[in-house]
Amino acid sequence: GQTNLKSPQDIQVYVVNTNFTLRWNYTGSDTNVTFSAEYRWFEDFVTNETEWKELPGCQNVTHTECDFSSAITKYYDTHHVRIRAERREEVSPWSSTFEMNPYLIAQIGPPGVELQSTNGVIKIKISPPEANQVRKMWIAHLRFKYNLVIWENSSNAEFRSQSIFPTDTIDDLAPDTTYCLKVQATLPLDLQEGLFSPIHCVKTTHKAVNDLLCATDVSVLALDMKFHLHWNNRYKQHVSYNVQYLIGYLKKLHDDYSMKWLSVPGCENITDTQCNFSSIISTTSGIYYLRVQAMSEYNKSCVSNEVKVDPLITNEIGPPGVKVDISDVLLHIQISPPGGSESEVMRDHYDLSYRILYWKNSSNDEEEIKMKEIKQTIGTISDLTPLTLYCVKVQAFSEIYNKSSHYSKEECIKTPGDKILHLVILATFVTALIAVFLVATPLGFALYQAYNKIKYVFFPSCQPPLNIEGFGGQLLSSPYLSTTEEPIENCSIIETIITEEVNETDFKDYIHSKQSSRDSGNYSNDDTSGSKVSEEMLEKEIV
Amino acid sequence: IMNVFGLIPIGLILLSTTTISSLQCNHLPLQQRKMIENSLQLLDKMGKKFPQQCLREKMSFRFPEQVLKPRQKEAVKVAIEEIFQHIFYIFSKNLTLAAWDGTAIEQFQNGLYQQIEQLEACVTKKQTHYFHSKEVNRLKLKKYFQKIDCFLKDKQHNLCSWEISRAEMRRCLQLIDNVVRKL
Repeated sequence: GQTNLKSPQDIQVYVVNTNFTLRWNYTGSDTNVTFSAEYRWFEDFVTNETEWKELPGCQNVTHTECDFSSAITKYYDTHHVRIRAERREEVSPWSSTFEMNPYLIAQIGPPGVELQSTNGVIKIKISPPEANQVRKMWIAHLRFKYNLVIWENSSNAEFRSQSIFPTDTIDDLAPDTTYCLKVQATLPLDLQEGLFSPIHCVKTTHKAVNDLLCATDVSVLALDMKFHLHWNNRYKQHVSYNVQYLIGYLKKLHDDYSMKWLSVPGCENITDTQCNFSSIISTTSGIYYLRVQAMSEYNKSCVSNEVKVDPLITNEIGPPGVKVDISDVLLHIQISPPGGSESEVMRDHYDLSYRILYWKNSSNDEEEIKMKEIKQTIGTISDLTPLTLYCVKVQAFSEIYNKSSHYSKEECIKTPGDKILHLVILATFVTALIAVFLVATPLGFALYQAYNKIKYVFFPSCQPPLNIEGFGGQLLSSPYLSTTEEPIENCSIIETIITEEVNETDFKDYIHSKQSSRDSGNYSNDDTSGSKVSEEMLEKEIV
Repeated sequence: IMNVFGLIPIGLILLSTTTISSLQCNHLPLQQRKMIENSLQLLDKMGKKFPQQCLREKMSFRFPEQVLKPRQKEAVKVAIEEIFQHIFYIFSKNLTLAAWDGTAIEQFQNGLYQQIEQLEACVTKKQTHYFHSKEVNRLKLKKYFQKIDCFLKDKQHNLCSWEISRAEMRRCLQLIDNVVRKL
């Protein structure tokens, strides 16, 4: 029925970690008025009609605030809350519904802080908000990033803000000074900055005397994925060193990692002030910390500052190798990638490119240096002037890492000029001329001889006397078959040799011609023509 | 007037610090692809094949795949960073009963941590705001990891609960790998 009770207004829900507080305003008369609240929630973001339930912790409360932490368990689901005033039998209308998502309105509570002042530094150990709580709003506590605010406990002190690990050391402090600090846990991805811890004040001690023993200026020099640690030491007496490394992610955990430092193999108990720790960097995915422990003869030891190593960022790219070659008007550049054994790792992860610088190396120093960038290891340059000395140097670079190597050694090569080209042409021509001459002369001579023979056969220049025609016929054929003597000469010889040589040559002829006639079938074309002629002679003879 | 002149160097410093920090981030996409490849291999390497007896206990966690839909590239980058953080947290718990290769676990965690640190430096407020515009996706993602966390706790981090979680995380990283290649 009708009621004069006003309903509560300006409902607010205040959440810190898993502590839920409901607050409201009440403008009506507050004598003997109590308040009771109801709530309902929606599973999985679906706003179907669910029943209103009594809100535990907010039943019959007299103040304008109540704690209902025990009621809420679904931190990611939407909840509705409403409240009304009650007096004896009267109840006010329900207030307007307050809609909320616990996670989205929750605040990060303060972290726990433990301090230790030692050796001029402050060692800090942070425990996360909700540590040791069973139910947590912030389940993945390793996601927290801790922000430290520190200042000197004096007037006009500057506030300094820095990000720290759960276990950390604040070391850039003045000795024998009181500092005050506070820490908050943040979740940058949730755009959340938590509540600050209470302020802690502590006085720094003086720094220990055996400071001289410590290794100083600890630095990393890394080239082509070969990592070296260098340091200095001002200690006068004998010192031995032990280089240690820590796998980076351990710093993000809340566990004490002081026992997790390991010795770098090959850098234990050394006297050299440098160490090759490439063996530790087994993969490019991962951060490492390095430090040097110096030990004196009197069993005193001191640990240096740490250096952080992010392999691909710490490493520097070395110069590539260059080879040049020239062909006609093209300059070929062969680049051997930097890194040697590690070149594949570097090429893979750095996405290397190469910058080629080339210029004309003349006495005139005003020559313009030209540049060409390529991705492959083979490059060509084409706009060259002949008979010029060109010099080339190459640099490897990674655009994405904003890293570039030193330039390689200069390699110079001279382009072939026109004069040389002319000489080459002349020499080629002369050689060709000689070659042709050498081939043409015997060929010509052979042809001439062939011509003569043919002429002799078909157009003999001397006629035998009529009385010795028969023999002449045979004898005429004989020089053709067996000798290359001139027919004129044969004519004269026939007169003198006829009686002696006839029988022999006859036999020869008969034998030759008989042989040739028998074997005519096996001869080549050239030979068959010869054998045919001899057959003709035979016929003449027989006739 | 003097105050204005005093402000100029401060302004320049602020400007330069923002530009400097943005310059160091160009290597992230390639480095991220490599790290995910590496992580998938390590996940396979750290244990043996999925034990048959654990099939009975297999649960469906229902990863909210819409979080990785590249409709808004910027929001996806932030989602990936949060996923890495959650996976890093899960694998930092008590792994004794899983009996996996300690070195592989260390390298896996170290790779994740390196990415998380670099993303922390490179993901901008603007990108985070894009991610926040899709509240439902953010919450679904957190619910998903809360389910796995509760599952491990309920089973007291026994072998099967770890093997199931490992398979689930592998699937998650594989989905990220597919998205990252297209980005």
